[in-house]
Amino acid sequence: MAINVELSVETDPQALMKKKLTWRQSVVAVAFLMSLSLAIFFVVRAVRPMIYWHYHQDEPIRGWMTMGYVAHSYRVPPHVLHSALGLPDKPPDKRSLREIAKAQNRSMDEIRSLLLQAIVQARRPYPASPSPPTNPEASP
Amino acid sequence: MSITDQLLEAVLLYGLPVLFGVILIASVGVPFPISLTLVAAGSFVKQGEMKLAPVIIAASIAAILGDQIGYGLSRWCGRSLVDRITLRLGGAAKIKRAEAVSTKWGGPGIFFSRWLVTALGPWLNFTSGMAHYPWRRFIVWGAPGQVLWVVLYVMLGYIFSDRVQYIAEILGNLGWAILALIVAIILGWKLIRYFRPSSSVAA
Repeated sequence: MAINVELSVETDPQALMKKKLTWRQSVVAVAFLMSLSLAIFFVVRAVRPMIYWHYHQDEPIRGWMTMGYVAHSYRVPPHVLHSALGLPDKPPDKRSLREIAKAQNRSMDEIRSLLLQAIVQARRPYPASPSPPTNPEASP
Repeated sequence: MSITDQLLEAVLLYGLPVLFGVILIASVGVPFPISLTLVAAGSFVKQGEMKLAPVIIAASIAAILGDQIGYGLSRWCGRSLVDRITLRLGGAAKIKRAEAVSTKWGGPGIFFSRWLVTALGPWLNFTSGMAHYPWRRFIVWGAPGQVLWVVLYVMLGYIFSDRVQYIAEILGNLGWAILALIVAIILGWKLIRYFRPSSSVAA
């Protein structure tokens, strides 16, 4: 706008480069650099889970998850997780882990480590993961 | 995050009504972790906890309705408030300019802010209402965007049903990256315009 009119008088580009940026233009330049760095920052943050996903496969166990979701996400039979927390296999427990933790008077960390232990056990090629103790016909 | 836990627990426990309410409130502008909720809903569909069609229909209606509430509030209540503020503090010219931008870029802006740059969604509802952007056009641009958003997020959750958190994290960060990039492009364009006149004269 007004800035362009003012600058169009300049003929030598080098002189223009040397010309001090006005206060307003410096703000635009700083904001430009900031938004560009923010864009890069968020791209990195978006790519990070993709890399993590690629190498680690499993996502961290969180309080909102149900036993069914953890079993689904970690690809283990649900009964393995149910028995790890001493819960009956049927009917499937639809409560969130946070609620289960509250009901069992355990911390989420405790629940998490119990489940991870059971998952590691179930995934081992030896011995074969145990069949459900009470419902042998329960589908995995 | 505790609010995320509680939201998703509620969605699992009470199903569609909660999903509807959460999306409605978030679309008006309350910052709920809505991406994760939608992606998780897709995963719950895959796991047989919820049904696909009702989830998509309820979420779409909630999102569109939430937009109308945000638009309506700013159009019929916000406007007089802003007028009163500008009368005392000034800045009416800036508001006018923002309105002009909103009317010019309104349509595509409304559409893309529904599903691509979702952080801007509630904000654009507000400015569209303020600028008295035609309500019919607001719906015509907004509703397909919201349906696209719901279908996209739910289907991503359905397809990657065992990676809900990763997907939500990726989507959230990509949304912010696109927003920052758009701002950078606009500012970069301003900077280029600052340097250009002299080179055109010199050439």
